[in-house]
Amino acid sequence: MTFAIKILFTLIFIVVGTIGTYSQDSYQQQFELAKKHFDEENYFDAVTEFKRLLFFDNSGKYTYEANRLIGLSYKEGAKFSDAVHFLALAEMNAITSEQIFESKIEIIKINILRRTTNRALSLLDDLRNDERFNDKSDEINYWSGWAYIFADEWEKASTSFALIDSIHSLKAFCDSVKSDLYDPTIAKALSIVPGMGQFYTGEYVSGLISIGWNVLWGYLTINAFNEDRIFDGVMIGTLLWWRFYNGNLQNAEKFAQQKNLEKTNKALLYLQNSYIGNKP
Amino acid sequence: MRVFLTILSLFSISILPQSITFDFHSPENIKKFADYLFCQGDYLRAVEEYESIKNINFNDTINFKIMLCYSEIGLYQMSNLSEVRLSNSVFKNEAECLSLKNRFKESSNSFYQLSEIQLYPFSTEDSFTLNYFNKLTSASFLLGSSELISEDEIINPFDGSETKTIASFYDMKTNPPYKSPALAGVLSAVIPGSGKMYVNEWGDGITALLATGLLAFLAYDNFRADHKTRAWIFTGLDAFFYAGNVYGSIAAAQIFNARINFEFSEGIKLFLEQENYFLPQYDFCN
Repeated sequence: MTFAIKILFTLIFIVVGTIGTYSQDSYQQQFELAKKHFDEENYFDAVTEFKRLLFFDNSGKYTYEANRLIGLSYKEGAKFSDAVHFLALAEMNAITSEQIFESKIEIIKINILRRTTNRALSLLDDLRNDERFNDKSDEINYWSGWAYIFADEWEKASTSFALIDSIHSLKAFCDSVKSDLYDPTIAKALSIVPGMGQFYTGEYVSGLISIGWNVLWGYLTINAFNEDRIFDGVMIGTLLWWRFYNGNLQNAEKFAQQKNLEKTNKALLYLQNSYIGNKP
Repeated sequence: MRVFLTILSLFSISILPQSITFDFHSPENIKKFADYLFCQGDYLRAVEEYESIKNINFNDTINFKIMLCYSEIGLYQMSNLSEVRLSNSVFKNEAECLSLKNRFKESSNSFYQLSEIQLYPFSTEDSFTLNYFNKLTSASFLLGSSELISEDEIINPFDGSETKTIASFYDMKTNPPYKSPALAGVLSAVIPGSGKMYVNEWGDGITALLATGLLAFLAYDNFRADHKTRAWIFTGLDAFFYAGNVYGSIAAAQIFNARINFEFSEGIKLFLEQENYFLPQYDFCN
C-alpha cells in the first residue's frame, strides 16, 4: 500500500511538473517562433509574433527583448519612428543597466542613420555622463565618431575614434577624407581675385570664364568713371560687374561644397559596402 | 516520507494554476489580438489576423472590420470584396457607404458621373446610401473637370454646416479668381511690371518698372552722347529685362492660377478628410 501511494504521488508530481514546464514552453515557443522569423529576416511576421507575445504575456518576462526585437525589425524596414518607439519601450522595461545601454545605443544608431545626429550626440552625452556606463566609454566614443561622420564633421569624428585608439582604422579613414576635402571658406576667400577659387577646386574653365567677365565689366565701369559718366559707371558697376563678381564668389563656394559632397558620399558608400566592423 | 511526498505534491499543485497551456493561435485569441491591432491602428496586421479566422468565426463585425482595414490601408478593391458578405447584415448600409467611399478614393477622389447611379439600384429604403452617394458625387463634381451641375443639386445632399462649406466651394469652383496669363503678358509689354502688379506681385512689378525705365534712359542717354559701346550694353540689358519681365508676368499668372487650383482641391480634400468622407466614426475600441 505504501509503495502504491509512493508511486501515485510520484506520478502526480511528474504530471503536474510536466504541465508546468509545458506552459512555460508555450510562451517560450511563441518567443522562439518570433525570433525565428527575425533571424530569417522575415521582419513583418517577426513583428506580428512579437506583438502577439507581448499582448498575451502578462508576466513581463519577454517585454524587454520582444520590444527590442520589434524595434530592430522596424529599423530593418526603415520605419525609424516606429523603431525608436519600440526601442524606447524596451529601454523603459529594461532590468539591467546593460539592457538600458543596449537599447539606448540602438536608438542612437537609428538617429545616426536618419541623420538626426544632434539627437544622437545628445543621447551619447547622456550616456557619457551616466556613471553606470563608465566602462563603456569606448563604445560611446565609437558611436560619437559615427554620429560626427553622418553630421559631416570628419575632424570631430577622427577625434572621437582617436579616443578609442590613436591608430584606429576609422580615425585614419576620417583623417584621409578630411584632408581630401576643399574648404569652402578658402575657395570663397581666394575668389576675391576672380577665378582663383575655381582654380582651387580644379574648375579651370569656369575660373577663366569668371576672369574674362570680371575684366570686361571692370574695364567698362572704370572707363565710364574716367569719362566722367559717373551714373553709367555706377549702373554698370552694380548691375553687371558687382553681379558677376558676387557670382564668382558664390560659384567658387558652391563648387567646393559640391565636390565635398561627392567625396563624402563616396566615403559613406565605402563605409556602407566595404567597411568591416560595427555600422549604424 | 508521506509528509515529504504530501508537501512535494502540494507544491506541485500550487503551480498548477500557472501551468495551463496557452494557445496563441486559437481563433478566440487571434480575434482578441486582431481587435488589439485594429485599435492600435495596425490595420495591415489586423486584417491578416481577421482573415485567418473569418471562415471559422463568421461574424458580421469581423467582416466589417476587414472591410475597414482594407480601406484604411488603401486596398479598396479588397475592401469592396467584403461588401458582398455584408449584404444581409446589420452593417448593410455602412458597408454600402464604405464601398462607395472606396470607389471614390480608388479613382483618386474623382467619382463616376451621375449616370453611374444606374449601377446602384437604390430603393426607397436606401435613402441613406443614396444621400451618401449624392454627397460623394457632389464632391467629385467639385474636384473634377466635368461641367458643373446646378448649385442646388450640389448642395442638396448636405445639411448643417456642411451646406455652407460646400456652397463656398461651389462659388470658388464657378468663379475662380484666376488671372489671365495673356493679359498679364500684354500689360507687361505695354507698361513693364504692370503684369506682375496685376497678379499681385507688387514688389517685383515696381522693381521691373524702375529697372527697365532706368536702363532705357541710360541707353538713350549714351546714344545721345555717342557712347555706342555703353549704349548697346544698356540696350541689351534693357531688352533682356523687358523680355524677362513679359515672360515672367505670363509665368506668374500661370503659377497664380495653379496655386488657386491646388488650394481649391486641397481644401476640398482636407474638408473630406475632416468629415471622414461623411461617414460616421465607428467606435469598436471602447
